[in-house]
Amino acid sequence: MPSDPLLSHVVTFGRVLREVGVEVGPGRLQDALRGLDAVDLTAQDDVYWALRQTLVSRRDELELFDRAFAAWFLRAPVTAPLRSLPQPEAQSVSVARSEPTRTGEEGEEETDGDPLELGASPVELLREKDFAEMTPEEFKRARDLMSAIARLRPQRASRRRTADPRGDRLDIRRLVRRSLRTGGDPLDRPHRARKEVPRKLVVLCDVSGSMEAYTRALLLFLHAVVGSGRGVEAFAFGTRLSRLTPELGTRDPEAALERCTEAVVDWGSGTRIGASLKEFNDVWGRRALSRGAVVVVVSDGWERQDPDLVGREMARLARASYAVVWVNPLKGNPDYQPLAGGMRAALPFVDRFLPGHNLRSLEELAAVLAGIERRHAA
Amino acid sequence: MSVSFRTIDELESALRGADYLPDRGLSTALFLSLALEKPLLLEGEAGVGKTEAAKALATALEARLIRLQCYEGLDVAHAVYEWNYPRQLLHIRAAQEGTVSEEELFGPEFLIRRPLLEAIDSEGPVVLLIDEVDRADEEFEAFLLEVLSDFQITIPEIGTIRARRKPAVVLTSNRTRELHDALKRRALFHWIGHPSIEREIDIVKLRVPGIPARLAAEAAAFVRGLRGLDLAKPPGVAETIDWAHALAALGRQEIDAEVVEQTLGSVLKYREDIETVRDETLADLVSQARSAG
Repeated sequence: MPSDPLLSHVVTFGRVLREVGVEVGPGRLQDALRGLDAVDLTAQDDVYWALRQTLVSRRDELELFDRAFAAWFLRAPVTAPLRSLPQPEAQSVSVARSEPTRTGEEGEEETDGDPLELGASPVELLREKDFAEMTPEEFKRARDLMSAIARLRPQRASRRRTADPRGDRLDIRRLVRRSLRTGGDPLDRPHRARKEVPRKLVVLCDVSGSMEAYTRALLLFLHAVVGSGRGVEAFAFGTRLSRLTPELGTRDPEAALERCTEAVVDWGSGTRIGASLKEFNDVWGRRALSRGAVVVVVSDGWERQDPDLVGREMARLARASYAVVWVNPLKGNPDYQPLAGGMRAALPFVDRFLPGHNLRSLEELAAVLAGIERRHAA
Repeated sequence: MSVSFRTIDELESALRGADYLPDRGLSTALFLSLALEKPLLLEGEAGVGKTEAAKALATALEARLIRLQCYEGLDVAHAVYEWNYPRQLLHIRAAQEGTVSEEELFGPEFLIRRPLLEAIDSEGPVVLLIDEVDRADEEFEAFLLEVLSDFQITIPEIGTIRARRKPAVVLTSNRTRELHDALKRRALFHWIGHPSIEREIDIVKLRVPGIPARLAAEAAAFVRGLRGLDLAKPPGVAETIDWAHALAALGRQEIDAEVVEQTLGSVLKYREDIETVRDETLADLVSQARSAG
């Protein structure tokens, strides 16, 4: 058994790890102690590896682990954990956001509310209302409606089969057993059918300055989609890509949104759609995250840099995925023309091009996702 | 296990004996996985030698390697066991009516054993390689978790089969998705990065016997240069080895722009990447590699 000083050493190190944001449970600490028991404690390398392999379970935590290890075992000066840094910035953004929405809204409702309100239910009105023009109360109600919409997901046939009299495949195991009674003659023919399971869904959401009026609503929608089951991956991009799946996994929508603002460093910044798509293709596409997935890009298509790059990376994305849907809130305006360079470059590789400025358009999106077919049969 | 290792160094030299050059981190991971009897989860870019590590471990342990390649839709029938239905039906037919009992029909002789059952029910030592576990469905992952915690499999018609000895288990993942926390908790974790230049040269020399030392060094340095470029798929060690094989087969003593251009297809697998590495870029990389080698 490891000696007692070692035990307290490791327990304290576990606490240091937790402080920098690496979750370490008692089971892992026990593994670490057993691991140290098996290696030569005077070999610093072996101690490092034994601790790292027992206490860390994901690649993104390796850097944090290294910092904690250096601080604790090598007694290097402790550096502040990265995670708390983006917070102040995020707060100022959310304050700036809520103000214009409210003031712009009040004038609106009084002037052009009349013709529409006749005969239309409040829910109906809410569904048509542009997200950019909603009051906080309306927004709250919209949020509740979103989770219902988000439950519609693209499906694919699973390889698994379950007993189903209308199935397309014989259930041979059952058939053999029933044939016993009839001397080997398969009189009774049970069937099995494929189960439908949700298809992978990847959403890339533009959170740059030009999308500001819509990002909050779209992220709430994303939160509802992530909550609809497994197999959903969410990313945000402005000038660079951030993965938001873990943040959006938080149950409470407002808390999830807050965690998103902490995770996204370039909130409300400029847009580099091409570079962000490239980052996605390079890092996540290479690991086949997009393979067989329906990919939804939410953006107004304002590329600040190189529209050609947008075209190239969209081509890569379209090749890897099952289908690509582009959601552009500007398309809600009947006069909208896809003139932005990035948008024009992307369109040839897009299977469906949809607006996303109000609840009704999200319903439309959900309906499209539920029934989407691959454009180019591969 | 019939072969066991008391220290990391012992295991490391056995792995070398199996033509595999691990770094200290990987040796420690494999050693701990054996010592703590826990599965080892290996992650890393494609081509860094995750699968090879399991193969080498099997050789070092003089154990049988049983490999389960995961894919979307993998199910129990292909991973654990399946009944041999044609034989069962023929058996009923051949027997007189009423003389075949259900027990007889669902007995071991009609059972087709798939990798997981093989690994659990094996007489001798086994290394179970569960390759690309991230490609399997989540339902399957949950099932796998059960198997890896109890090392037993229940077949309704036969009963529960327990492992006589726990197999060494290596899981690999390309991180196409995050694995379940529960599965990760059950396993040790090791991230394999690209090897250092010295190690890569050693690996090339080991895997391409008789390769001129200068050629090995230049090839390794060139591939390392490629990894520094912005490529869709940077080459792994596997690609370095393939390429070195090709160069050696051509009877080269060193690399030059011409031979690199002819053989680039064994290093880079995407047309876009091959186009990126052309003309000046290629010439630069070659001259850097030559001065490094």
